[in-house]
Amino acid sequence: MNPVYIISACAISPQNSFESEDFLLEIRSTDTGKLFVQEPDYRPFINPVAIRRMSRLIKMGIGCGMKALQDAGVQTPDAIITGTGLGSMTDTEKFLKDMILLKEEALNPTFFIQSTYNSVNGWISVQTKSTGYSQTYVNRGFSMEMALMDARLFLNEAATPQYVLAGGFDELTEEYHLVKSKVGYWKEELQQSRELLQHNDTAGTIGGEGAAFFVLSNREDNALCQLRGSGMLQNPTAGKVASAILQLLQTYDVDAKAIDLVICGNDGDVRFEHLYTEWGTLLKDDTPFVTFKHLTGEYPTASGFAIWLATRLFSSPKTREQFLHQKGEDTTPRHILIVNHYLLNTVSVTLLSKK
Amino acid sequence: MADNIVITAAGIVSALGIGYEANLQALRDLRHGLQHPQFLRTIHNDLLIGEVRLSDDALAESLSISLAREPYTRTSLLAITAMKELVQDIDLETLREENVAFINANTVGGMCSVEDMYMEFISDHYDGDFVKYIDTLDCAASTQDVIHYFKIRPFTATLSTACSSSSNAMIVGARMIAQGLVDKAICGGCDAMSRYTVNGFLSLKNVDKQHCKPFDQNRNGLNLGEGAAFVMLEKETAAKARGANILAHFSGYNNSNDAYHPTAPSPDGSGALRAMTQALAKARLQPQDINYINAHGTATLNNDTAEGKAIQQLFGGGVPFSSTKPFTGHTLAAAGAVEALFSMMALRENMILPNLNFETPMEELNITPVRDLITDRRLNHVISNSFGFGGNNVSLIFSKA
Repeated sequence: MNPVYIISACAISPQNSFESEDFLLEIRSTDTGKLFVQEPDYRPFINPVAIRRMSRLIKMGIGCGMKALQDAGVQTPDAIITGTGLGSMTDTEKFLKDMILLKEEALNPTFFIQSTYNSVNGWISVQTKSTGYSQTYVNRGFSMEMALMDARLFLNEAATPQYVLAGGFDELTEEYHLVKSKVGYWKEELQQSRELLQHNDTAGTIGGEGAAFFVLSNREDNALCQLRGSGMLQNPTAGKVASAILQLLQTYDVDAKAIDLVICGNDGDVRFEHLYTEWGTLLKDDTPFVTFKHLTGEYPTASGFAIWLATRLFSSPKTREQFLHQKGEDTTPRHILIVNHYLLNTVSVTLLSKK
Repeated sequence: MADNIVITAAGIVSALGIGYEANLQALRDLRHGLQHPQFLRTIHNDLLIGEVRLSDDALAESLSISLAREPYTRTSLLAITAMKELVQDIDLETLREENVAFINANTVGGMCSVEDMYMEFISDHYDGDFVKYIDTLDCAASTQDVIHYFKIRPFTATLSTACSSSSNAMIVGARMIAQGLVDKAICGGCDAMSRYTVNGFLSLKNVDKQHCKPFDQNRNGLNLGEGAAFVMLEKETAAKARGANILAHFSGYNNSNDAYHPTAPSPDGSGALRAMTQALAKARLQPQDINYINAHGTATLNNDTAEGKAIQQLFGGGVPFSSTKPFTGHTLAAAGAVEALFSMMALRENMILPNLNFETPMEELNITPVRDLITDRRLNHVISNSFGFGGNNVSLIFSKA
């Protein structure tokens, strides 16, 4: 496949990630087991008339996507490809409960429409006049990865310079949190979320949410980094994760010892810790490992935050300082590996390289 | 296209029946599958819907599934039923070994089960039968159920773009094959009737309580349906090498966007026109090469105006067109794949399917859909449209094998 470049990256998260380069100067932590995003002012990014009827996730998705386009200087993307594990839970819950409680009468269609998984695509295409390819993956822990894979396919098919808006988004609701507590998603004993990963000896994690969007191109100009590829694994053993990493690196001709930094999706759940144990020895001894789910909580498209973080670690010395606590000598990473799992036993491995 | 993609296996379940032959026979007999709800528990029992005429228990029994032990939703049962039809045409063992993708599409996951239990989901009870259905709500649940049932481990993906979902699954599968990511792709979609969906469309006020009348001046909305359909795609060279029976060529496709309104199509039909025009370009065909248009034709006021104008502009009155939704109801995520199979049947049997219930031409159009089954001509190329919420427009072109 031809190289694919990340031109811009934008994330809405429980941390101060939307505008700021200094996003970890102050870590937001909670002892409720639920990390909700810090919502930016969406008004510059969303049609002011429409915004009043939009639910949280729809605003989060559109706002984040529009900001990524703005940062890339792209008005009309050639394709819009998204991934979401859950879509708008708020709208789904509202329509479903109204339907049950009102006994199937006098229902508000807005909730139904917004619960459609591709409604963020629809809105962004209307706002940007994008008449190109549009796709939405609803694929649990691979929703984000599939969107990026499709974006790579699209750019590989293109004969001319093209710009794809690709992103993922998911929201946490009180009701969703309650429902999933019944199938063991969350830790029973609550600690401060910032200490989540120090409590990796019990089952469960904390709930999270976020949106991350990227403008991808087959053109290198002004790129933040190169998106190489992703491997996706269903119910893998730890050994399978290791071989998937090796296979990914081999595909892109990158030596395991050349990986400068790894972003790991450990979420404090003891049931999945083994997935991160068997491949560390493939890498250089002093390879820094960065974790992030104590900042975001767990959600199906959390890998989007990890990719956003990687773009910052490539380009911003300040972010590296905040994240790696490395004062003084600054070395820009050349290759960043992301290993992420999601609750229903999926693992993805993603490679990004400095262009 | 440089790499010809062909269809070498197909499976379907709809209100017309289970399997290729049952659906074909119903179409030939002009026998629609709509009825008042038999299995869906709704207060709107005066609606006509395209239910598959088997209960959950009957579907499960025919698949040797114990619903007491395993939480298969109706969505998954329909998907597995359609897949079971498909795998009759192939050797499941080779599917286990080869580089295969399973691209499924779906709009509301296991909502058909969840909506019966949701108040328990959010109650303060932590134990009960409902617990095992909690993870069935999302669209990928049926995807996982299919691969679990058949004990296959393909690359899986699930997508959801409303009413064009399974057409998109076919496009993604074809593109993955063309770029060498996989050798074969089983693509399609499934949706079971749910109160959630029925009430959603009722709240939008675009459901006709009588038989829907696509492209009719007096059309008054759609009939909903359920079903599942899958096709297996692979390269023509690979199919020929293994001596596979080629059902049709998947010769062109396009996915593009209206960029007009979150739910309504552009009234001038420019979105539908773009999708069909670009699909023709991809297939290197001219409008006059097309012998039959299987329209999206939902019988909603908006869709049929937009799509009708686009058909008129691109094809004039020269190409017969019809909507087959009066036969099955609108099967939502399954519709693209269901109608891809109908298009394939049209090609193979040299028949143009009629648009049931049509009476009065639309004022905005000077073209009218086909009223009667036409069997006296050879069909070489068929185009099939699916247009979804969010302005998601897909046209697929199939050609005679």
